[in-house]
Amino acid sequence: MKELSLNILDITENSLKAGSTLTHILLTETKNTLTIVIKDNGCGMSSEMCKNVINPFFTTRTTRKVGFGIPFFKLVAEQTGGSFKIESKSQKEFPKNHGTCVTAVFNKNHIDYTPLGDIVSTVITLIQGHPESDFYFKHTVGEGEVLLNTQELRQVLGDDINLNEFEILNWIKDFLKEQYENL
Amino acid sequence: MTVGEFAKQNPLNVLCMPEAEREITGCYIGDLLSWVMGNAREGDAWVTIMSNTNIVAVATLTNVSCIILAENVTLDEQALNTAKENGVNVLSSNLSAFNIALLLKDTVV
Repeated sequence: MKELSLNILDITENSLKAGSTLTHILLTETKNTLTIVIKDNGCGMSSEMCKNVINPFFTTRTTRKVGFGIPFFKLVAEQTGGSFKIESKSQKEFPKNHGTCVTAVFNKNHIDYTPLGDIVSTVITLIQGHPESDFYFKHTVGEGEVLLNTQELRQVLGDDINLNEFEILNWIKDFLKEQYENL
Repeated sequence: MTVGEFAKQNPLNVLCMPEAEREITGCYIGDLLSWVMGNAREGDAWVTIMSNTNIVAVATLTNVSCIILAENVTLDEQALNTAKENGVNVLSSNLSAFNIALLLKDTVV
């Protein structure tokens, strides 16, 4: 994938498939690094499964025998001299605080660094596809930040509002873009 | 031409060849794995400088006839074992991707 935001979309879809109701997407940039954290409260995985997901020949998909979401994300981080980590607590073992957390660190100055790309579209696509789920998106660049918390949005708009209505998605898009312009 | 014949007739190292009878019907060169996934065709000899387990998975998915690692790139033992288990032929060469493609030009064009 030519944009990290597509990897983020891919990984977050795993979270949603695991039944996450609140997914954190946290991007933190320093001068030289970008750290991406995707943290969900989904059903989690056993420690054995957690070890296996970095192997492309392991997948929860039934239509083909290889899965690339996690292996590709790990690859693009490591090829910048960065790092990758996945931790998970399964619902079975941790009924109260289960979920999965993926952390990838990129060296932005490395020649093989993949640009972040259109992260606003990724966030919009996620909300559009999963309007019942909540997202906490924060992109910190030095002192500045871009923030979207759909739980807060629901508090303002009322619980009966559907987040994938055209006007709302458009508003969210402008809201994010405006924050990026001021970053 | 089969992968086995091609390997024998050219200056290539065989890293593993579980399916020597696979026919080479084309050639694809690329290193961005997601791109290769979408564009390599079944039967292609895929020339790349990437080397990790992911290339074996991409080869499985696209059903290329073999992977040819260019410019002295090697593949670790674990990935090679995965290739063997999944019937993926892996060759290597000190040549550049361009020169490997030239070896194929009379075979597949």
